[in-house]
Amino acid sequence: MKSINIADQPWLSMRRTISITVDGIRYRLFRASVTVAVIVVAVAFLMNILAESLIKRSVASNTRERIDTSRVIYNWSAKLSSPGSQESIIIEVANCSPDSDLYRETQRFAAMNDEDMAAFQTHAQKIVFIFDFFNSLDYAKRRAMIHTASGLEILNRLRSPENMEQFKLALSRIRSVHFDMSYDELDAVLAKGPEIRKQIGTIITARRKAIAVINKTLKGKTVLEKLATADGPFGDTIRQAGFIFDADQTAPLVADQAQRLLDILALEESMEERPTRQLIAQQANILPADVNVMMMWKYLDGKRFATRYLEKMQEAGITTEGLAPERLVDLAQGRKENAALLRAERLTLDAGKGVLGLGERLGWLLFVSMLVCGIGITNAMMMAVTERFNEIATLKCLGALDGFIMIMFVLESCFMGIVGGIIGAILGGVIGLGRMLAAFGVNFLGAIPIGDIIVGMLMSVLLGTILAAVAAVLPSFKAARLAPMEAMRVE
Amino acid sequence: MAETTPQSDAAQKNADRRIIIRTVGLKKSYLMKGVLTEALRGMDIEIFQGEFISVMGPSGSGKSTFFNMIGALDSPSVGRVFIDEVDVAQLTAEELAYLRCHKIGYIFQSYNLIKYMTALENVTTPMAFGGVMPDEARSRGMGLLDLVGLKERWHHRPIEMSGGQQQRVAIARSLSNNPSVLLCDEPTANLDLHTGQEILEILQRLNKEKGVTVICATHDHRMMNICDRLMWIRDGKIDRIADRSDVHIEVGGIDGH
Ligand SMILES: Nc1ncnc2c1ncn2[C@@H]1O[C@H](COP(=O)(O)OP(=O)(O)OP(=O)(O)O)[C@@H](O)[C@H]1O
Ligand SMILES: [Mg+2]
Repeated sequence: MKSINIADQPWLSMRRTISITVDGIRYRLFRASVTVAVIVVAVAFLMNILAESLIKRSVASNTRERIDTSRVIYNWSAKLSSPGSQESIIIEVANCSPDSDLYRETQRFAAMNDEDMAAFQTHAQKIVFIFDFFNSLDYAKRRAMIHTASGLEILNRLRSPENMEQFKLALSRIRSVHFDMSYDELDAVLAKGPEIRKQIGTIITARRKAIAVINKTLKGKTVLEKLATADGPFGDTIRQAGFIFDADQTAPLVADQAQRLLDILALEESMEERPTRQLIAQQANILPADVNVMMMWKYLDGKRFATRYLEKMQEAGITTEGLAPERLVDLAQGRKENAALLRAERLTLDAGKGVLGLGERLGWLLFVSMLVCGIGITNAMMMAVTERFNEIATLKCLGALDGFIMIMFVLESCFMGIVGGIIGAILGGVIGLGRMLAAFGVNFLGAIPIGDIIVGMLMSVLLGTILAAVAAVLPSFKAARLAPMEAMRVE
Repeated sequence: MAETTPQSDAAQKNADRRIIIRTVGLKKSYLMKGVLTEALRGMDIEIFQGEFISVMGPSGSGKSTFFNMIGALDSPSVGRVFIDEVDVAQLTAEELAYLRCHKIGYIFQSYNLIKYMTALENVTTPMAFGGVMPDEARSRGMGLLDLVGLKERWHHRPIEMSGGQQQRVAIARSLSNNPSVLLCDEPTANLDLHTGQEILEILQRLNKEKGVTVICATHDHRMMNICDRLMWIRDGKIDRIADRSDVHIEVGGIDGH
């Protein structure tokens, strides 16, 4: 006779558990792949937004750097032509870092020791803070506080007690505006006004003298023409005049950019001649009168056209010394790159603020996509488990332990989460990369934050896996704890 | 008729037999969408070790519900189920799993095969839970499929099989861990006369040769020939219990009237 001796059901070894689970996934490959597909889409969506955000952020800082670099020539030709205004000097000093050439140069012109220079900069920063505050106000509020004053006039105006009262009164009445500087500090800034004015005066005088030294060496040439040789003797002249002009980095950069600018100007001028204009008209298949500079640059991008263009320039009697077809192509491409830079600057205007420095809009988008990803995965996983309540119940009837069922679902959902997550992260990353390259152009390839993107991918995979696991475990835990037939009855 | 049998006789006969399943005041009601259905309304029965008992009753009378209770697959609303004199309600989750895996074989009315597994995998799953190694499980599983005449179809999924074939897989699965008690919910319902007969013979052999206790819900008249006792359920209550020998005389008394 068969009798019943009840004992504890043994736990299956992990190996057996895994092999049963893997078999299960294999058998249900189609259904599992549908769930994985949802995870792929959700993670890809999140990863796409993340990758694009990270690339935008990085492109933004890269752009700013490159735009700054491309403007070095303008800074220097301006500096060698004019000593600058009081306001421009204050803003310059406030914004430069203490180890920059500009900082040391200003200190030299102002003949200050380190301590005074540091105090001067701190002060300049406070003044800029005040400028920025008033600049951020709309016209009505600004008028209520300081009438129509602007720039340094503001400080002059506030020095009079009644104007100060007006400012304070207006400030206390306009609730939405906050002036994050105490009145004591503001008074101190105002009190130092004459001293600052004197110091700036010293700087301007010193700069004017330096410019006079430079002017003597120009001998009929323009500053720009001279700057084209800034990596040579003219660089020494600039340094002797008292400017700090780095010979290793700044000088070659300035010289190159100056030459470029001169060449560009020469080419744009050459377009006015008949032979050159006709060549462009011919190429564009339009009347010579309709030709414009943009067309010239467009066609100069090709070497064959550049060669013919040079011939036409000679025909028109323009000197083409130092200009080779390659140079023309290079200049045209440089202009294109500049246009790309400007476009990138426009596209990344909102970067730098908000979550992760991604900008308000991107940060918000990222948050929403995280939510969508989370809901998508949770929903898919919960559905996948709930439709298997019947199976869970059957397995329990056949002697499966609650723990086995839990482990099975944890393993399975992790597996699906990892596979879906990896595919999704790669997909989203690649799409993001492609889209951003299309938007900014290949010359931003170097600005792509590979490290950040990989970290983002790992985070996305992890998020997908955890969400999938949690979303699967909750319902399967519920099913595993029920009596088998109770689980069978759950719809 | 059962009433004609002297009570003392039956009592005498049963006294020295071991009770393997006993229910006391068993009630089960389902609450579905606010409607309370009383599926079992107080059942007291003793089932002896090694006996073959047929459970009969019209559709909806509570046979499947009763099986779920004595098979420790669902918890009663009121009352107790004792399996080998142990109160099922007292068992831990591990002990329940062991009981379901090794000691009780279930043939469900709706088969409850796992859709994505082949016939063989369905049969070997309880073995896997019982800790049987894959190779051994495979050969034993093939043996069981052979027993129910489905050896050639071991790699078919339930969806690729007829109702009767699925039922036979379910029968093979119920035997996978050599159970002591076999709970069969209409095991021959979908089988032709011949196959049904074969299954009945298998059940009978298990019962006679291996001493497996067989509890069988059925509408199949042939079951009467091989069972020891018959039990009629009506509206969630035991209508009548009788030894086969007493019923056998009365031809056509199968529905208890
Ligand atoms: N999950 C459920 N929810 C609600 N009521 C149920 C549920 N399962 C069964 N019932 C009800 O309990 C009663 C008994 O059902 P049960 O399935 O036990 O009958 P049965 O005797 O097995 O019938 P059949 O011969 O048709 O299989 C029926 O009235 C049925 O409606
Ligand atoms: Mg039934």
